[in-house]
Amino acid sequence: MTRRQVLSTVAVAAVALATGFVVAGQVKAQLLTPSNQVARYQALVRSVQDLESANASSRNEISALRAQIDGLETEAAGRSAATQALEDQVSNLRAHAGLTALHGPGVEVRLANGAPGPDTSGQARYLVNFQDVQDVVNLLFAQGAEAIAVNGRRITPLTAFSGSAGQVVIDQGPPLSSPIKVSAIGDRNRMVSALDDPSALPDIRARQVQFQLHLTFLGIADLTLPAYDSSLRIPHVSPT
Amino acid sequence: MSARPRRPPRRRASGRAISIWVIALLVAAVATIQIRSEAEVERSLVGIDTTSLAFLIDDLHRANDALLAEQADLKQRQATLQSGNGAAADQVLTDEAHRLRAVEGLVAVHGPGVVIVIDAAGLKALDLQDALNNLSAGGAEAIAVNDRRVVVGVPIEQAGGGVAIGGVVVLPPWTITTIGDATRIAEVANLMTQELRADRRVRQASYRVEADIAIQAVISEKPFVYAISS
Repeated sequence: MTRRQVLSTVAVAAVALATGFVVAGQVKAQLLTPSNQVARYQALVRSVQDLESANASSRNEISALRAQIDGLETEAAGRSAATQALEDQVSNLRAHAGLTALHGPGVEVRLANGAPGPDTSGQARYLVNFQDVQDVVNLLFAQGAEAIAVNGRRITPLTAFSGSAGQVVIDQGPPLSSPIKVSAIGDRNRMVSALDDPSALPDIRARQVQFQLHLTFLGIADLTLPAYDSSLRIPHVSPT
Repeated sequence: MSARPRRPPRRRASGRAISIWVIALLVAAVATIQIRSEAEVERSLVGIDTTSLAFLIDDLHRANDALLAEQADLKQRQATLQSGNGAAADQVLTDEAHRLRAVEGLVAVHGPGVVIVIDAAGLKALDLQDALNNLSAGGAEAIAVNDRRVVVGVPIEQAGGGVAIGGVVVLPPWTITTIGDATRIAEVANLMTQELRADRRVRQASYRVEADIAIQAVISEKPFVYAISS
């Protein structure tokens, strides 16, 4: 082997070694880490999906049980005037608590995500968030709404809104995301005129301009709201 | 006599070709896996991050536990009604009426909870709405502010003289009385008062946990004008 051949072999070996280190570093830093991230993320997503499925099944079971209990109560009320009077009271209370499907005139408000844009707040303000939904619901109640549902989830006297990053969680329901439809039964002219007021919903209106967040509303002659299908337990509260 | 040109053996040539193909395939496979991994991470992380997902899982666990407890209550009520006893049916209906009146804020209630006192100048209706929503999300089952009962549906609005609850202006300091899971509410109250104390408008923000608090304030039921049972 000539001196030149030895040198070139050493050079090729050095380049191969360097390439090997670079490839190994790359694999360790960028290939394996994202793969682990994906696996971890997918495991979390699977957990969410399993929990959402259990959630839906529980809510169906609750609706079915409530319907069966209604039937049994009606049967019992047929046997006694006193029971009938009690059942009438409970029916009225259930309607006000959101446990009865209702219909009547009202409005439908639609909220949808805008487009990402420059934002110094560090939040994804182009997304519809739970505070937006809470603000619309509060506005409608302040204008005399008698019953409200958000994407078919009935609002009750105990409703709480939460969520993050474009996810809206209402009570024990699964997270909702854009587009969001808020349906309210009540005086539709009053509600529409409140929604039309440029000083109402200031944060949403500012983001309409900045991020093209969508806010539209429409008066409806007759809309139907489903009954609440989750828990209204108050285990820590006792009447005095 | 001219020498025959040297040709590499056929087997050696095909071996080299196979090696090149194998290397090329490996490179292509690694590149594909790399690109797909990155694309998948990018796609899956759009909109929601792993921390938010972890919180969501926590919330769903709590929600599902509450739903299972509701199911258990309903099954018990159903079993009592199925006994066919008229007195039992009356008792079920009476209990349900009491519970719903408490849910709707129509009767005075008591129980364990947390009292939060906020003295501030310039807090708005939105601030109070957010605070009350956070407390509800944190386990409050009954709430009153300065002896005004609050449930969802009672308007909290900005009025000329300040923040009005159900049309009545409620001047600071606000005493927010909550009944519910005191441990969970205290966690929320702790975070809330810490944030409030950092707010220049707030003079005082404190909370205390109590074993038994009474809320005497009630709401009057408004009959439906527009809504009809389906």
